[in-house]
Amino acid sequence: MMQTIRFLTVALTVLGAWVALSAPVSAQDLCARDGRDQLVCLDRPAQRIVSLSPGATELLFSAGAGDRVIAVSAWSDYPPQAAELPQVGDSNRLDLETIMAMRPDLVVAWVDGNSRQQLDRLMELGIRVFWLAPREFADIAWAIADLALFAGTRDVGALRAARFRDGVEALQGRYADAEPVRVFYQVWNQPLMTVNRQELIGKAIELCGGQNVFADQSRLVPRVSREAVLDAAPEVILTAGRGDNDRSWLDEWRQFPGLPAIAADNLYLEPPDLLARPTERMLDGISHLCQTLEQARARL
Amino acid sequence: MPVSDYGRSLVVLLLLSGAAMLVSVSVGSSQLGLAEVIQVALGRGSELERTLVLDLRLPRVLSAFATGGLLAVAGALMQVLLRNPLADPYVLGLSGGAAVGALLAMLAGLASVLVSGAAFGGALFATLLVFGLAHGTGSWTPSRLLLTGVVVAAGWGAVITLMLALAPARQLPGMLYWLMGDLAYARAPWPGLVLMLVTCLVAVPLGRSLNVLARGPLQAAALGVSVRPLEWLIYIAASLLTATAVTTAGAIGFVGLVVPHMLRLVLGNDQRLILPACALAGGTLLVLADTLARVVIAPEQLPVGVITALLGVPTFLYLLHRSR
Repeated sequence: MMQTIRFLTVALTVLGAWVALSAPVSAQDLCARDGRDQLVCLDRPAQRIVSLSPGATELLFSAGAGDRVIAVSAWSDYPPQAAELPQVGDSNRLDLETIMAMRPDLVVAWVDGNSRQQLDRLMELGIRVFWLAPREFADIAWAIADLALFAGTRDVGALRAARFRDGVEALQGRYADAEPVRVFYQVWNQPLMTVNRQELIGKAIELCGGQNVFADQSRLVPRVSREAVLDAAPEVILTAGRGDNDRSWLDEWRQFPGLPAIAADNLYLEPPDLLARPTERMLDGISHLCQTLEQARARL
Repeated sequence: MPVSDYGRSLVVLLLLSGAAMLVSVSVGSSQLGLAEVIQVALGRGSELERTLVLDLRLPRVLSAFATGGLLAVAGALMQVLLRNPLADPYVLGLSGGAAVGALLAMLAGLASVLVSGAAFGGALFATLLVFGLAHGTGSWTPSRLLLTGVVVAAGWGAVITLMLALAPARQLPGMLYWLMGDLAYARAPWPGLVLMLVTCLVAVPLGRSLNVLARGPLQAAALGVSVRPLEWLIYIAASLLTATAVTTAGAIGFVGLVVPHMLRLVLGNDQRLILPACALAGGTLLVLADTLARVVIAPEQLPVGVITALLGVPTFLYLLHRSR
């Protein structure tokens, strides 16, 4: 009995010492919970990061980790230097072989954009994967801070995250008592798609004092009929269009002069790049949206 | 078939299609029912009500009717031409050609009018391609036409898959809805309706020749039908009908395959009756399916092709079971 206890004591001491020695203090700091609620830990700050979605790329550059990003997914066009990096395929059809050959020490994935199966395969092969799943404005700030932590650029990350958070708060304060205005946000034309209140654009509309006419739909990006839009009688119609400064989607609504939005000439083209991805640029997008709605209120 | 039966069948179908259209105009995602529709029809009603009924619902209902009718007639013609019960308007790759045209236009970001134009162009190109290839060496048979068409259709399918694989993610919903068939943007029902009427008026006098042809080309030739010109006429007519339907509403499946069979089970295989009956029944089926697509989860919308199959499959199986 005594022998067993003594053996256990020795074993525990040795084990404790081994853990203390082999795990440097910094390792415990390099941990964060990701969008799948998994704790992801790195042994040392990441030097070779692969980004698997355009949004993740933007957030990595915001976090000050841009110079550690060695490859990106297709369509990663912002900031401009990201477009010059080697590509590892489209978000939902990644080239796993290329990713493995890059020997990344961190892969940043996007819950809505990447294939779970492909990423599981990478994880089985021993790659660290950090999933992003921004559902709230606050998550964008968290993502920037987490990525900065992994890249060893905590100071930059903290600064940018705080700036984003403060910016959103300031807008929230400024438009908290704004006159409500009924908004239809057109995501796509054919099929006609919009956003509900859980979608970040829907949240932006509410933050600016707008009432999204399809806020209560159950899907994030519901497909609705024109009849439903006419029935909802929006006072403002917003869209980013196809992203080429083309107002034709808005002009199509002019065939319904009975719409309050047409009567007030409240048809607006929002800058396509700012609200499309949940990244730091969204702050500018929200700010622009709020100004648009102010302009719309003045015309009602 | 006695003339009275002939007339009765068509009158019943005509009443059914009228009722379906009335129901369809009276329901939608807004609270606007039959009473308001009647007000609008009498020239009263608010501006919004008039817009909803006259600018949105009515053109869509008529487009649905025209599209369904065109597809069913085209399917019946193809089945006669190829003497193959599995033939449908798309079997020779016409919808594939139209889809490649439409998707290319969408990828280029063109306006919806040009997407329709590109679809029509693609459909005509696919028709001519199969025509030319099957005609190539001079000897021409329906089975050669069928094989050529099926292989060309497979080729179109590969091109469509490639385009979907390479398209940017935000373009995908629009492309998929087009491929599934969608009446949301059908605006001008008149070309389809007129074409359908003309086809029926031409096909009924030709019905006797079609009946003979359906039994086989040798018999038809023996009975004095000039087989080859008739076959080309059927091919061109069916292609034109299908191209118009696909241009209006994308590649709506199932109607063209099953409606002719359903009617044959009920009415017998007399083309003089089947072709106009197909126009009415196909139109009715698509009007009902589109109504459901608009209201099942309103204000959200479903692709109409899903509903045509969900409505048509049990109906067809029931008729098939009963006919044994």
